[in-house]
Amino acid sequence: MKVSFFETGRYSPPEALPAEWPVPSGVYDRDAGARAYHGMIERLEYIEELGFDWVSVSEHHYSPRILTPSPIVSAAFLAAHLKKITIALLGPIVPHSNPVRVAEELAMLDTLAKGRLVVGLLRGTTNEALTYDLNPAEARERTDEGMELILKAWTEPQPFGWQGRHFQYRTVSIWPRPLQEPHPPTFALGTSRESCEFAARHHLGCGVSYGPFEVMAKATRYYREQCARYGWEPKPEQIVYRANMLVADTDEDAHALLDKQPKGAPFAMRAALRDAFMTADPRNIAGEVRAPNVGGGALPTTFIGSPDTVVEQVRHAREVIGAGVIDLSLHPPGSSDLDPLMRALELFGKKVLPRIRDI
Amino acid sequence: MSFAERFVEADGFRIRYMEAGQGTPLVHLHGAGGLRLNPAHELLARHFRVIAFEMPGFGTSPENARTRSMPELASTMGVAIKNLGVDVFDLMGTSFGGKTALWLALQAPERVRALVLEAPAAIRQDGAESPSGTPEEIARRLYAHPEKLGAIPLPDPATRAKTQPLVQRLRGPNRDAELERRLTDLATPTLVLFGTLDAVIAPAMGRVYKDLMPNAHLVFVYDAGHVISTERPEAFTEVVVDFLERREAFVISRAHTVIHP
Repeated sequence: MKVSFFETGRYSPPEALPAEWPVPSGVYDRDAGARAYHGMIERLEYIEELGFDWVSVSEHHYSPRILTPSPIVSAAFLAAHLKKITIALLGPIVPHSNPVRVAEELAMLDTLAKGRLVVGLLRGTTNEALTYDLNPAEARERTDEGMELILKAWTEPQPFGWQGRHFQYRTVSIWPRPLQEPHPPTFALGTSRESCEFAARHHLGCGVSYGPFEVMAKATRYYREQCARYGWEPKPEQIVYRANMLVADTDEDAHALLDKQPKGAPFAMRAALRDAFMTADPRNIAGEVRAPNVGGGALPTTFIGSPDTVVEQVRHAREVIGAGVIDLSLHPPGSSDLDPLMRALELFGKKVLPRIRDI
Repeated sequence: MSFAERFVEADGFRIRYMEAGQGTPLVHLHGAGGLRLNPAHELLARHFRVIAFEMPGFGTSPENARTRSMPELASTMGVAIKNLGVDVFDLMGTSFGGKTALWLALQAPERVRALVLEAPAAIRQDGAESPSGTPEEIARRLYAHPEKLGAIPLPDPATRAKTQPLVQRLRGPNRDAELERRLTDLATPTLVLFGTLDAVIAPAMGRVYKDLMPNAHLVFVYDAGHVISTERPEAFTEVVVDFLERREAFVISRAHTVIHP
C-alpha cells in the first residue's frame, strides 16, 4: 500500500468566519494566509521523513477550507522545497480550465519536479461550477473532452488542430512535453460510469473518494470490468482512495474525537442553491444515480480507531476497493487546529504506516 | 439545398455525380463504400459548388474491371472533372477517395487549389483491415456512435460484392513507398482530418502526412469515428470551409468572444 497525505494549506483565521460558501474575500487575513502556505513546508518535510509516498493537492475556490485555488502553483511550490516525495496533483478541474494550458503546465511541472508528478483529472465538486460560471449540465461533457485533449497534447508529436464540441484550437504543439514517458501517471477521478469508462479506454488509473468501502467498490469494480473490456488489467497503484482518517491511541479516543467534530460541512452553499443543484448536476456511482454532494453534511470518516484497528481497516479497504494508494486527510481539512494533526501524523507514521506497507 | 443527379463521360465510363451550390468548385471523391450524400454535403453546398462523384465501379454504376491502379482511377476522375468544364478546383477525398485525391493532386498540381482529406486511407497502420462482416458490424467500425445516427445508411451486400475486387486492387499496401516519396514534393495546401475514435485508420496516421507533406495541416475531430462528415457534420464543415476560404490563415481565430457589447 502506498500512502499519500492530502495537503490543504491549513488556514488559521484570527477570528470566526462566516459559515457560508462563497466566503467573502474581505474577511481573508493576509498574514494568516502567508502562515498557512509557508507552514505547509515544515509539515511536509516531516511527512516526507515519516515515509509518505505522495503529497496530494487539489483545486478548490472561494473558501479557506482548502486554500489552493491553483493546484499547479501549490504543486510547483512543494516540488521546489521537497526533494523525494511524489507530488500528486489531484487535480485540475478540467471543465472550467483551458485544457491546453493544463497540459503545458503539468508538463512543465513534471519536468521541474524531475518526474515526481502524478496527475488526477476531474470534474470538480458541485459548488465549483459556480466559481467560473460553468453550466453544470455541460460539466460532464467538457470534462471528458478536456481530458482527451490534455492526453492528446501530451502525446501528439505534430502540431494539430482540435475540432471539439466545447473546445476548439487550430494549433496545438506544447513545449515542454512531460519528463515521464508518455506522460505522468494519470488518474480519472470520480465514481461515475463515464469517468471509469474514460479511464479504462485510455489506460488511466481511477480515483475514488470519501465514500464507504462497499460504495466505492461499486465504482472500482466497474472500472476493472471496463479495463478488462479494453483488454488490460490495472495495477493496484492505479486505484486511489481518498479518505478521512481519525487515528488515536485507542478506539474510544478516536470515536470521542469524531463526536467532537462538526456534523455539518464547513462553508456550505445556501439552501436555495443546494436545491437548484439537485437537478442541475446529475451524478452517479458506476451508473447508479445519486444526489450531488450538496447536502451540507460532513464527509464520512472511514478509517477510525486505534493503530491496530486502522491497520485492519486499511487491509479491508485494499480487499474491498482494490486500492493500492490511500490519500489521507488525518484531520478534517477545514480544521485549523494543527496540534491534533501533528499528533495524529506522528501516531500514524510510527504505528500504522510501517504495518500497512505490505498490504 | 437539393442535389441534382447528373452524368459525365470520361475514359469510356458514364460517371454519375451529384451537384449543388454556387461558387468555387469543390470536388468530392467518396470512400470504399461509395457515394452517400450526408449533412456535410448540404452544409458545404452553402459555400461552394459541390460536385460529389460516384467513381466508376461504385454504387449504381456497372462493375469496373478495367481500372488497374489508383493513379489510373485518379486520372479518369481528372478527365471527368475537365469534361464538366472545370479546370481548377478544391478537392476533397474520403478514406479510399483520399488516396485517389492525393494521386490526382500529384498528377495535376496546377489544377488542385487545396486538398481536404477526411480520414484518408493512403497511409495505414500495420495490420489495418477494411471493415467487413454484417452491415451492422461494418457500421460499428465506421461510426463511433452508430446508435446516435438513427437510420444508418448500411452498405448493400450486393453492391459491396461488386466493388470489393476494385477496392482490393486499388487500395495498395498499407505504406505505399512510391506515393509517400512523391508526397514530399506536393506543396498543395492540405487539410487532414481524423476522428479521435476512428476504428478503421488509426488517427495517429495523421502525423505521417505532416511529416511528409510540406503544407499539411492536421485536425482531430473529437468524438467522431471514420466517417467524420456523417457523425459531426457541423464541426467537419466549419473547419473545412474555413480552410478552403483562408488556407493556411485558417489557424487565425475569427471566433467572437464579446458577450455583451
